[in-house]
Amino acid sequence: MLLALALASIPLWAPRFWIYIATQALIFAIFAMSLDLLVGYAGLPSFGHAAFYGVGAYACALLALGHVDGLVPLLLAGMLGAGAAALPIGALSLRTSGIYFLMLTLAFAQMLWGLAVNWTSLTRGTDGLIGIPRPALPGLDTLNVSLYDRGPFFFLCLLVAIAVFVVLESLVRSPFGKTLEGIRENDRRMRALGFPTFRYRLAAFVLAGMVAGIAGSLAAMSNGFATPDLLYWTVSGLALIAVVVGGTRSFIGPALGAFLVLFAQLGLSTYIDRWELALGALFIAFVLFLPRGLVGLVRRA
Amino acid sequence: MEVTVTDLTVRFGAVAVLDDVDLEIASGERRALIGPNGAGKTTLLNVIAGELRPAQGSVRLGTRDATTLPPWKRARLGLGRTFQRSTLFGQLTVAENVALAVRARIRGSWRFWPGGQHPVREEVGKRLEAAALAHLANRRAANIGHGEQRMLELELALAASPSVLLLDEPMAGLSGAERQSVLNRLLTLPRQVTIVIVEHDLDAVFAIAERVSVLDHGVKIADGGPAAVRADPRVQEAYIGAF
Repeated sequence: MLLALALASIPLWAPRFWIYIATQALIFAIFAMSLDLLVGYAGLPSFGHAAFYGVGAYACALLALGHVDGLVPLLLAGMLGAGAAALPIGALSLRTSGIYFLMLTLAFAQMLWGLAVNWTSLTRGTDGLIGIPRPALPGLDTLNVSLYDRGPFFFLCLLVAIAVFVVLESLVRSPFGKTLEGIRENDRRMRALGFPTFRYRLAAFVLAGMVAGIAGSLAAMSNGFATPDLLYWTVSGLALIAVVVGGTRSFIGPALGAFLVLFAQLGLSTYIDRWELALGALFIAFVLFLPRGLVGLVRRA
Repeated sequence: MEVTVTDLTVRFGAVAVLDDVDLEIASGERRALIGPNGAGKTTLLNVIAGELRPAQGSVRLGTRDATTLPPWKRARLGLGRTFQRSTLFGQLTVAENVALAVRARIRGSWRFWPGGQHPVREEVGKRLEAAALAHLANRRAANIGHGEQRMLELELALAASPSVLLLDEPMAGLSGAERQSVLNRLLTLPRQVTIVIVEHDLDAVFAIAERVSVLDHGVKIADGGPAAVRADPRVQEAYIGAF
């Protein structure tokens, strides 16, 4: 609550550049939270989550460039596009588990990355889709509120992030969420009790993909472009780092982790050429000394 | 519900772990499966539960041919089981463990929002009371004692209100008092529940079972009332000195 208020005040005092960075961090936080539904709650270590972030961004971009105006349709496009991609990828990847699941999700994401690079007639290849307009806000534009301004766009991202947080928190407290945890803890027993565990896992995979797609939509609107970089495995890797550093099995943790990783990236890359090295060291330090992440640190204090 | 196993053969590589086994278990019957270690008792339970596919033969649950059904479909037909080694949800609380089993029965798990769980919580409370686990409701299943875990293991199977209950060594590693409470819990089950129990504690076996089937090296060597099975020379040979 306090955190949300503190974040909401950012546009009032922060310099323009920092509003932009905070917006990026919020989008990344939505993405990381969606990944934790898989990693933390369902026990599915996906290394290809960027696939759904990227597909969401492209779906939103294609629709926006096709002259569809309207915030809700564009967010829905990212969500449903990503969900449509997650269904077959999940159906195939979830036939395996553990390290094999990790490798398969990575492989599928890289395939989609290759598709984004090579299907130039649709995606314009490595140039990406550029000049993506941000949607108008009917009713609010008379008040001079436009998503092209940093403040309102930041608030949009904040609102979506809070909505995603609330929905995911209630999801994991629901019977469905408890079922996922049961499957994570003991798949064999769940099947013996009569649960078709594959279907639950697939539902979780598609839901997580859809939320990642919302983040992707926001990223496309925020950047004004969608490029294959969004689907690259390093994006999946950064999200995994955010989840682990923030602390799995909570949603506030991965959101904080996303902020930390983004600010670390920004701060480190200013001073060190090989900032990935420093981020890697940070990650290792967290895994070794704070296995429950930032959330564990707060809980201990 | 009846359990009928016909001509069942299971092979691990070249070894026949079960060789042409037949079992006919009537509805509501209490049947024990005994035999030396490695006789194929757990394998037989796993085939009935659907975790292993037989090389030959069939499994019927009631009137339904279940040979190719996956475990979760058999569970929905009314089959419940416990495992030889406790198979719990370690990081979930004892109450959450039982709630999962209750929701499995009422098919209440495709709900994506919290709330409306009052009836489930109430039933979980009653079941924990009956299993003498109520004081542990909020402890993680991984952190309770071995005997308590065995009770919870049994309770998970019972919470689904099975019409066939497969028990794989429910007494293993329990103290005398704990054995007695498991036994009492089993003896108070409704008469129509069919029970198939694998157990090395022969006192418990003869307290529960009406009929006993004896396996040795994957072959059924005897089948009948407890007294007849005790007197069978082939059983005595397989089980030297056990009786």
